[in-house]
Amino acid sequence: MTQKSQSIAYPYFVMALLLFGLQVVMGLWLAANYFLTVPQGVVDVFPFATARAMHTNLLVLWLLLGFMGATFYLVPEETGTDLAYPKMAIAQLVLLSATGVVALVGFFFGWTQGRPLLEIPRPLDFLVVIGALMFLFNIAVTMFRAKRWTAVQGSLLGGLVFLALMYLFGIPFYKNLAMDWYYWWWVIHLWVEGAFELIAAAMTAFMLIKLTGVERKVVEKWLYVELGLFLFTGIVGTGHHYYWLGAPAYWLWLGGIFSALEPLPIMLMLVDTWRDIKARKEPMRPRLTWVYLIGMVVIHFVGAGLFGFAHTLPQINYYTHGSQVTVSHGHLAFFGAYVLLNLTFFYFAIPRLKGFAGARYDERSGQAGFWLMSLGVLGMSLAFAVAGVLQTYLERIQGQPYMLAQQPIRFWMLVAFAHGLLVVAGVIVTIRHLLTLKPAPPEATAVAP
Amino acid sequence: MGEKTAKWIFWFGTLSSLVLFLALTVDTQGQFAALTHADRLDDQVVAGKRVFERRNCNDCHTILGFGGYYAPDLTRAWSRLGSDAIQRRLEKPEVVFADSYRKMPQQHLAAQEVADLVAYLAWVDGIENHDWPPQDSVNRWKRSTERALASATLSPAAALMQQENCLSCHGLADRGERKGPRLEWIGMRRSVAWIADYLADPAKVAPGAEMPAYGHLSAGQREMLGEFIVALASGHGR
Repeated sequence: MTQKSQSIAYPYFVMALLLFGLQVVMGLWLAANYFLTVPQGVVDVFPFATARAMHTNLLVLWLLLGFMGATFYLVPEETGTDLAYPKMAIAQLVLLSATGVVALVGFFFGWTQGRPLLEIPRPLDFLVVIGALMFLFNIAVTMFRAKRWTAVQGSLLGGLVFLALMYLFGIPFYKNLAMDWYYWWWVIHLWVEGAFELIAAAMTAFMLIKLTGVERKVVEKWLYVELGLFLFTGIVGTGHHYYWLGAPAYWLWLGGIFSALEPLPIMLMLVDTWRDIKARKEPMRPRLTWVYLIGMVVIHFVGAGLFGFAHTLPQINYYTHGSQVTVSHGHLAFFGAYVLLNLTFFYFAIPRLKGFAGARYDERSGQAGFWLMSLGVLGMSLAFAVAGVLQTYLERIQGQPYMLAQQPIRFWMLVAFAHGLLVVAGVIVTIRHLLTLKPAPPEATAVAP
Repeated sequence: MGEKTAKWIFWFGTLSSLVLFLALTVDTQGQFAALTHADRLDDQVVAGKRVFERRNCNDCHTILGFGGYYAPDLTRAWSRLGSDAIQRRLEKPEVVFADSYRKMPQQHLAAQEVADLVAYLAWVDGIENHDWPPQDSVNRWKRSTERALASATLSPAAALMQQENCLSCHGLADRGERKGPRLEWIGMRRSVAWIADYLADPAKVAPGAEMPAYGHLSAGQREMLGEFIVALASGHGR
């Protein structure tokens, strides 16, 4: 930590972690809905749809709060100045958290916009926009005042502005369903395969510079290439969602070609990280931060890159679209790309915020947290994948009616649930560990001069 | 590779993709009206879409393949089920899914809301989306049904079906009406005995069903129709 106002990141991290906990518990309930028979009385009051709205919105909210906290940590250090309006950053956290809580309670009472992932009702959307504007204004003023531009900052600011702009396309009511989905993907796809990737690349580059001691010029040069590839493949790659929604046929081959290239930038990110680690000038300590960093780039590549590629070509997607195959890819990709990104950043930033010597911390239970979560999500995604392949074969190829084809899938949802228990255990351990992080025991710190 | 090349890759990659994407968006916008039959998108359809969103249907069901994966896809629900069966599911889910291991919430919809939803699903059914989803693909139904019919045109069951005018409510391949479920879909889900039993008195098996009883047919005739309907489904997916 070099600037005092970086400490504003901490309450953001805390809020993000608490919502993360709630998200995974809701996930368990969703999995249970698949293999149990939930009685009509419960379904009438708390249907699967409501729980799903909560599960997904909690994810989006906590990831965004994590990114915002990371930004408040990163920007003052990059610019070498304090944040322009620290009090506004706190007000923004209160506003966004309150909006989130109202939205969640509202879902329970049926107050919803009714579009998957964008269920937050329109009046609350405006509060979200106000929060986003406060955030962007704060960050932009800080950067412009400092006039010390770096590629890391540019990528971060670009990603955040991009993210806020795309959110606007999700607000209106569209009469035509096909057009509705067309712009829905401007929010969903251009977030996760556009704006989020810019933010992820910036946060990763920042951590690599600080952790490995590799020259900034080298890291930033590759950052440009990563970003160029992410946007080149990702923007037209939106077309892989336009195959079956009533759009013209050219999306079949354009979406297919561009999205087939989407794993390339992720692979480059993996290679870059690997090269920086090999060229490091600092020791790989504390070990857990490195486990997270490497885990992130590897699972990001497997979940988003490989699992995504597996069903992105239209010839395959015709049969897998809208099945549990998507669920499998979705879980592993979000976990590898963005959950681990945030957690890596928390492990990177919190010891520095707390001023631990050499940023070393006692990492024991954190290791268990990482492996429980990672193996849990991996097992869960594989169970979803089996369910998805079964569904594809039975329902899409054999033509069995939906409910008949779901019958053998229920067992695999039980398997997913069992792995979900590991995930929840891992998340609880991790949240506890991060919120009560302690300096490393003296014998470990004694190694450092 | 120098920094200059890296920056060039960034700007070229981003801008070329962006320009292509925006140009295609303009073109797609222009084609949506024809591909989605926007001329049929009247006020009732829009009202149906609003009900669909207000009740959060899309977080259990998928439509055009997007949404929750917890319940059947609704893109071709209208061709598959027909308006009557959709109406029954919306009005009395607790009855229709009483024996099912997965339930649908009772939403207490007004009669107008039900009618709007049916109109909405009927409009969605017409969206030209390269024949997705495969399980409801009309081309596939046609192929399998044609095969079944080719060997059965002269069969007494087919004649009986004509005589009783089944297709004035039910769909079969690309023929028939969309009031009741399509016959091949019934054949996939039900046994011969069940169909024969149902024909005798539909309201007894499915309370509230609007289908008339075919008690005037003999047990043997009803069984024959059941065999015919089950046979229709056997070729599906090949």
